[in-house]
Amino acid sequence: MENDQLIAVDTFCTYYEVEYAFVESLRNSDLIELVEINSSRFLHIPQLQRIERLIRLHRDLEINVAGIEAIDNLLARVDYMHREILSLKNRLRFYEQEL
Amino acid sequence: MPFIDYYQILGVDKTADDKAIKNAYRKLARKYHPDLNPNDKEAEKKFQQLNEANEVLSDPEKRKKYDQYGENWQHSEEYERARQSRSARGGQQEQWYGGGGGDNFSDFFESMFGSGSGFGGGRQARFRGQDYQAEVTLTLQQAYETHKRTLTVNGRNIRITIPAGIENGQTIKIAGHGGPGSNGGPAGDLFITFQILNDDKIRRAGKDLHIKADLDLYTAVLGGELILETLSGKVKLPVKPETQNGSVVRLKGKGFPVYKKEGEFGDLYVTFDVKIPTNLTERQRELFLELSKS
Repeated sequence: MENDQLIAVDTFCTYYEVEYAFVESLRNSDLIELVEINSSRFLHIPQLQRIERLIRLHRDLEINVAGIEAIDNLLARVDYMHREILSLKNRLRFYEQEL
Repeated sequence: MPFIDYYQILGVDKTADDKAIKNAYRKLARKYHPDLNPNDKEAEKKFQQLNEANEVLSDPEKRKKYDQYGENWQHSEEYERARQSRSARGGQQEQWYGGGGGDNFSDFFESMFGSGSGFGGGRQARFRGQDYQAEVTLTLQQAYETHKRTLTVNGRNIRITIPAGIENGQTIKIAGHGGPGSNGGPAGDLFITFQILNDDKIRRAGKDLHIKADLDLYTAVLGGELILETLSGKVKLPVKPETQNGSVVRLKGKGFPVYKKEGEFGDLYVTFDVKIPTNLTERQRELFLELSKS
């Protein structure tokens, strides 16, 4: 386990000024993963950017965890569709290209 | 510096109460929030306007000043007084969004309330730096190989590794290489979109490559070998006897590298274009005639 890739949930909550219960509810909704080491809970640092986004949705827009979960799923679908459009555009480009 | 109608931005009446303003802001923020509209510059701009409007209209003191002097903003004396009356700010809030830097509020806002105002009723917000967008054009050959390239973005040199197999239109994010954050907020990200030029001879379809190979009639009929120029160099291709015009052969693993999957390649499809000889000699014409009768 690379501990330098982890941040304690307590430290995270202090720095970001969020309730421990909020982090817990994000985990319960499978929006984030927590790691338990010696009875302490940690977050993977590479997840931070994603968690920051979830916090912004919660704070800026007053969206509850169920709403965040729905948005997260929809954004994943938007991202998937964006990639699909790109792939289709490139296929179209293939057929439009004159050899 | 044009006058900005904050009421119009929020879509509320001038007599709207705090609750109506808050509701209007929430409703529009949910529509234009940058996290809900990734890579949408228009939404980002709109969200900044919303924040600015909300910052003013949700604060009774600021709203009063805006209502009083808003349309006559050029009266600098009043604004100077308004600027001087700004109260000291305290506290800190994690509230980051893109497109920030020192550019989050309009000149109009800053002339009335000063540049130090952050939204959230006088609390100082930490803004994430602006995301930068860049575009890089590659030839098909360049996209075929992992290579390093130095880009100059906003006067800064950034050395990046471009992985083989990158798609046309694909965007990669270089975290933390955007604009600097303000008030201790993190730097933005750099988004690089790749444009891959079409190649005259080779067409790409995802991980597969397609190429047309001219084949002389004699090799097509009798069989033989063909040397093909591909992105990975020359390839010797055996040609079966009686190869038909337009027939396709597949060369497994000779296609395009798969993005971020080292050692994995698509296939190369070769379409034969049988060329009929022209300017026949009398002797050749006789031989073809003989063949046609056999």
